[in-house]
Amino acid sequence: MGVIRRHGQFVIRVNPILCDGFGHCAELAPEIIHLDEWGYPVIDPEPIPLADVGALTSARYAERGCPRQALFIERIPEPGAR
Amino acid sequence: MIALTTPYLWYATRATGIAAMLLFTLVVCLGALVTTRAGGTFIGRFEVNEIHRSISFSAIVFLIIHIVTTILDAFVSTGPISAVVPFTSSYKTLPVSLGTVAFDLIVAVWISSLMKVRIKNVTWRFIHWFSWLAWVTSLLHAYTTGTDARHGIVFVVLIASTLAGVAAALWRIFARPARAAGRTALSPLAHAPTQSRKSNPPHFPRVPTAQRPVRPSQRGRR
Repeated sequence: MGVIRRHGQFVIRVNPILCDGFGHCAELAPEIIHLDEWGYPVIDPEPIPLADVGALTSARYAERGCPRQALFIERIPEPGAR
Repeated sequence: MIALTTPYLWYATRATGIAAMLLFTLVVCLGALVTTRAGGTFIGRFEVNEIHRSISFSAIVFLIIHIVTTILDAFVSTGPISAVVPFTSSYKTLPVSLGTVAFDLIVAVWISSLMKVRIKNVTWRFIHWFSWLAWVTSLLHAYTTGTDARHGIVFVVLIASTLAGVAAALWRIFARPARAAGRTALSPLAHAPTQSRKSNPPHFPRVPTAQRPVRPSQRGRR
């Protein structure tokens, strides 16, 4: 584990073409990802601060656990940073 | 070299071969269960996947011990080259070659899985299909090469493994949902009443951060 960058935010993005609705992500990151009635992920579009270590850990588990690798974490840098 | 002529290496080869056969059968069955979206009530779907991964690792450990003890053992003249190149063993050429082919396929599946995040998912899935071929080949190898495989309890185990794998394959073919299989009981909103489309907000039912469900392991962190 590297240094946790506490600045900035992240969102989880899903590639709907790759997604086959396995539902692993909603079990691994239940506070961020819900499933619709067909089993596809519905992801809260609201960015989550990187300082929320619990949510970030869940998001990483979901990203790693996707059988189709359809999820990825997108970092949103703070405006003005770098 | 005296140690290499004792029968214990040969016993280890036979025992780890049987163990590897059982574990790989389990891995194949669990892999089929992942695809059919098994789990979701008393065990999570992601947990089936995790068990599939971890048991495959222990199966590979048993397989490597099986191969190394076969090479070291002086009872059969199977060298290190025969572990990877088929039809090079003077001892039971065809039966040992079946095991060699199975090992090569398993190595391909293993390496592609280790590289999963670096290769295309479609490529990984194509290579992963060969695990079925590897499993069939290894069972043929077990039956044709195995010292104990044609009688007694090992024969029963072999037949049971075959039946379990065939059942998993049939389950995989006929019970597999086309794509999504609906919510799991472990996922949030699983028991929420389904609202009609009109009463639903267009996107996500916005839950304030403070009210988001928190997993037990994360309590107290925020």
